[in-house]
Amino acid sequence: MFSLNNLELRKVTISSLLSCIYLPSIVTVISYRGILYSVGKGSSFYILVLIFIAELAKSFYLSSNNDIQSKRSRNKMRASDIVKTFGFLLGVMFCFFVGIILFGAPVLDNHEGTLVLSTLLTLLTIFPLVAHSGVETAVQLLFGVKSFSKDTIVAMLVNNALLTVGGAWLGAVVIPLDWNTPWQQWPIPCYLGAIGGYVLANVMTVLKVTMMSAANKYKFLNFFVNIMNKLHVSK
Amino acid sequence: MKEKWNCILYLIWFSYLIIAGILMFGHGFLLSRKTLDDVSQCLSHENLGCDGHESLTGTTDCKSDKIELFLNNPGSPLLCSSLRNRVVLILVDSLRFDFTEYDENLENPLYYQNRLPIIHKTLKKWPEKSRLYRFMADPPTTTFQRVKALVTGSLPTFVDASSNFAALELHEDNIIDQVVRSKGHAVLLGDDTWARLLPGRWLRSHAMYSFHTWDLDTVDTEVDSKIYDELKKDDWTLLLAHYLGVDHAGHRYGPNHPEMMRKLNETNSRLEKIIDTLPSDAILYVIGDHGMTETGDHGGETKAERTAALFAYYKGGFAGDGSDIEIGREIQQTDLAPTVTAAIASVPPAPSLGNVLMPLLPKMSKTNTLLHLSNNLKQISQYLVRYGEESQQVSLDRLAELINSTRDQIEKTSNVKTEQDLKTYIADVRSLIDNIRSVFREVWVEFDSLSMLRALLLLLLAVFFNWIIAEGIPVERIPHVFASSFVPTGVISNAVCISLVYTGFYFELYEDLESAIILSTGLVSGAITCALAILHWDGITQKWYEGRTQFYERFARSALFASAAVLVSNSYIIEEGSVLSYLSLSVLGVIAWNISNLKALGLWAGCGVVLALSRSYRGCREEQGDCWTAGGNLPTGQASRAALVIALGSVAAVVAVARRHVSWRGYGIVIAGIFTCAHWAVGWGSLGSPTRSRLLARVAWLCIVTMFGLLLKKDRNGPTVPLVVVGLLFYLANCLVLGASYAPAAALALLSGFLVLNIVGMMKIEGSTKYSLSSRCSSSLACVWALLASYHFYGAGHHPTLSHIRWTAVFHAGDPNYLPFGHAISFLLMTVSLFGMPMMFGATVPLLALWGRNGAPMGPRSQLAAVFTLCLKFALCFAIRVFSCALSATIHCRHLMIWGVFTPKLLFEAGACASALFGTLLGAALTAWHLPSQNRSS
Repeated sequence: MFSLNNLELRKVTISSLLSCIYLPSIVTVISYRGILYSVGKGSSFYILVLIFIAELAKSFYLSSNNDIQSKRSRNKMRASDIVKTFGFLLGVMFCFFVGIILFGAPVLDNHEGTLVLSTLLTLLTIFPLVAHSGVETAVQLLFGVKSFSKDTIVAMLVNNALLTVGGAWLGAVVIPLDWNTPWQQWPIPCYLGAIGGYVLANVMTVLKVTMMSAANKYKFLNFFVNIMNKLHVSK
Repeated sequence: MKEKWNCILYLIWFSYLIIAGILMFGHGFLLSRKTLDDVSQCLSHENLGCDGHESLTGTTDCKSDKIELFLNNPGSPLLCSSLRNRVVLILVDSLRFDFTEYDENLENPLYYQNRLPIIHKTLKKWPEKSRLYRFMADPPTTTFQRVKALVTGSLPTFVDASSNFAALELHEDNIIDQVVRSKGHAVLLGDDTWARLLPGRWLRSHAMYSFHTWDLDTVDTEVDSKIYDELKKDDWTLLLAHYLGVDHAGHRYGPNHPEMMRKLNETNSRLEKIIDTLPSDAILYVIGDHGMTETGDHGGETKAERTAALFAYYKGGFAGDGSDIEIGREIQQTDLAPTVTAAIASVPPAPSLGNVLMPLLPKMSKTNTLLHLSNNLKQISQYLVRYGEESQQVSLDRLAELINSTRDQIEKTSNVKTEQDLKTYIADVRSLIDNIRSVFREVWVEFDSLSMLRALLLLLLAVFFNWIIAEGIPVERIPHVFASSFVPTGVISNAVCISLVYTGFYFELYEDLESAIILSTGLVSGAITCALAILHWDGITQKWYEGRTQFYERFARSALFASAAVLVSNSYIIEEGSVLSYLSLSVLGVIAWNISNLKALGLWAGCGVVLALSRSYRGCREEQGDCWTAGGNLPTGQASRAALVIALGSVAAVVAVARRHVSWRGYGIVIAGIFTCAHWAVGWGSLGSPTRSRLLARVAWLCIVTMFGLLLKKDRNGPTVPLVVVGLLFYLANCLVLGASYAPAAALALLSGFLVLNIVGMMKIEGSTKYSLSSRCSSSLACVWALLASYHFYGAGHHPTLSHIRWTAVFHAGDPNYLPFGHAISFLLMTVSLFGMPMMFGATVPLLALWGRNGAPMGPRSQLAAVFTLCLKFALCFAIRVFSCALSATIHCRHLMIWGVFTPKLLFEAGACASALFGTLLGAALTAWHLPSQNRSS
């Protein structure tokens, strides 16, 4: 899945490392402050803002000094682009919102929690893609018009998105259990599951890049690289 | 094309294997405790010599109290007491304890509160003559179980719950037999469960049919017309009256309803009158056999269902003081049998594990009290010894310990001198008997682990080899398999096997014919399918080597396995409705993602909306705390106006849309639909006419059955149209049995199935032409279909608990119990109402392969092969779920919730599996029937 382009690889690794650091630290800080179980409430909006800023910064890093041309074109279209992007993101968020309700979230109450979760999912899945490659490309990627297998960064982002959704999906597993713990409240398990999935995807990326570079020296590591290649969700 | 009937035969064979496995498991798992046919006998007073030993001559005047001497001799047999009372036992079915309470301060009593002031009045006026206790029942709290437990003084087991509708004669020692043995007479008034349980024991019996649950008054008025005359007569020892009105009011309307108030008021005046006319030597016990939930159901083990009431009244005054006579003290229902037998001067029935309750017996001398206690202890120690001989359920050490402590207690009788001694002695005896009872309660359900294990093995065998056949053998080869002599060989070898086993049984080599047949045929079938797999091993390995399965395929399989695996957890069983909808929606989502176009996404979203809408019909079970207390459990009575409109609209819409596409068969469906709608509309509200409505329902059923018959008519269009018609007919049948309030759920199920069919159709177009045949019968389709079929059991408002069964389905077209085949018809209606959805989805499985003719045209042979594979896979999905249920029941057989959650789930899953198998067979047979056979090239 990853082509051995050194510059891109370095960027991917560093941005993945950043995600591996900042998300767990956010979770650690809020859990030490004892407000981990309030992540489903509107009062935890600042966490989403933090994630938004971090993702934005990461996307700037990913697309920085790529080549001068794209930077120039980006500058030109910025004003209309931002509006369009936000509209698109809002649409995606609404889709997530409806989808989550269809999957079994309460229909009439607890919209706050569902909204927070759908915002988080949007921020972790579609937003990095859009920020990296613009709305048009993102839409093309979503509907399979454009193939992303050649582009290392986009491949990583798509992989992150898939694992994030998968994590949120898997998080719902604990909700029906009758343990009566505070973290079984809707939408905490899915929220944490999404973050977990995202971090896992990034950890895997870092691991894989490490392995790949080490495999030049130690051939047997290629075996693990192959296994990890297979593990990545692909159509 | 004779192979098409071979296909059907194979499916029948597979269904037989699965159902036989389930039956065998049930026999092992639902096996009850050992019933011993011992009887307790007592030495009559006259045959007791002055030395306290048995003597044939007997003497009446002795210098000292001979009973005291008798008690000093611990090895002596049981001795009948000499104080004889008569007993009036009034059983008010479902008399919950809080019905009997009275609270003057209550300003707005509910319909069931403060309705029995006579009890309160009596307690206040004569505290020493009356008692009111909480009368704790053991689960399962169904009337038949409770009656059996009350008369034997033992603990009921679950297996009896299934024989609730076919009460069999009781072969254990019981109160009534004790009455007869002590030369007394018993009179029965009311519920005929008693007459069926204990035929031929009654001096007079006025028993009436008890299962017209909508009939609140007939039995009660009949009992009333007899009981006061009976009370004046003096030829009976035990007068038993069983009133059903309160229970039926609960079943029909729930406790909080004016009808319940009426029935309780009636009960109040009845009790008043009975207390007035009670003969002075008779003790009155008014008992409830179980309570009821807030919806008026019972059968489970919740506190509300278990807490019945016991009210006792005796003009001579009762014994006991202190905390023993406190109002609302908890006593066990097992205690009734020894207490009643003590009152009629007999001894406790042999299987009783109860404790004689002195506060419910007339005041008596210390010696007599001790006599009753020692009889009680001796009977229990005899039972312990006998039970130890007959069964190894309780470990010998434990049993020996219990027997020794009982014997110690018997010996201690002679040490009791003062009143204080007596009190402590009574307390000691009670704690000892409670201990024994809890030991037995713990181990009582004796699972036949060997037969359970065998059944699990057979199920595993059948599932495993059929899975290899369904997944491994390439679809192209399937017609060849069935054209060969494989199926005839299998059938013949099974027949040979059965005849051999029967011969062995004839020569009395073994006793259990049924399990021998099931075991041998299961093993032989396993061997034959294994041989088939070996013969085609090259094809299987090649297919598995070449075919890299799609992600959605693997995902669908894991989702199905997940849905089966979570059945080992009670929380997931309780929330299974949500789990199944979640899983099926996920699988569909992955499939739609794989197709990845807007139409598929739209269809998926539509499916999600349909499943979300069906959530409003899903109801609650008691374990779902929030939902339950929020009143999410809809009443089962009349539909509201909006519900009626929605129901009529849904049926009309389905019929109007569907009729155009099924040619002449549309007329029959329209007619049946119109009659269904008319049935609801005419029967609705207070202005409705129930008789006409029932008549219309019958006509609708006639239409449906006729249409089923007309399915046999062949036309040239192939099997798709008849299959659609089968689906629609099952839909209408479901509508009828579900009633107006739940009918839209059936429409939602149909709609979701239709949407899924369309998604599946697109998947086939997307699939490359090379593998079109195998993509048509991919297991993901079968998994989605099975998940949906299982989900819509919940979608139609059912839950796998015994108290959640809606019996109204049987009565919507009149009471079938009056008809000659009444039981069969009620069974059929009940099956359709509970498992109509798996049946509907099962019958339409072939559509998954045949829907949408855009792909490459297939010859009838390949169509048949695809249909067969799909049907087998669908059946396998249900078999896997049942296997998982059986496994979880085995694992959890000592779990707290085994009778509340796991066993009902197993029963319902087995029912769903059987219905799905039946539906699949129907669909497959219909496909085979309608496939053009002249086209031989494929």
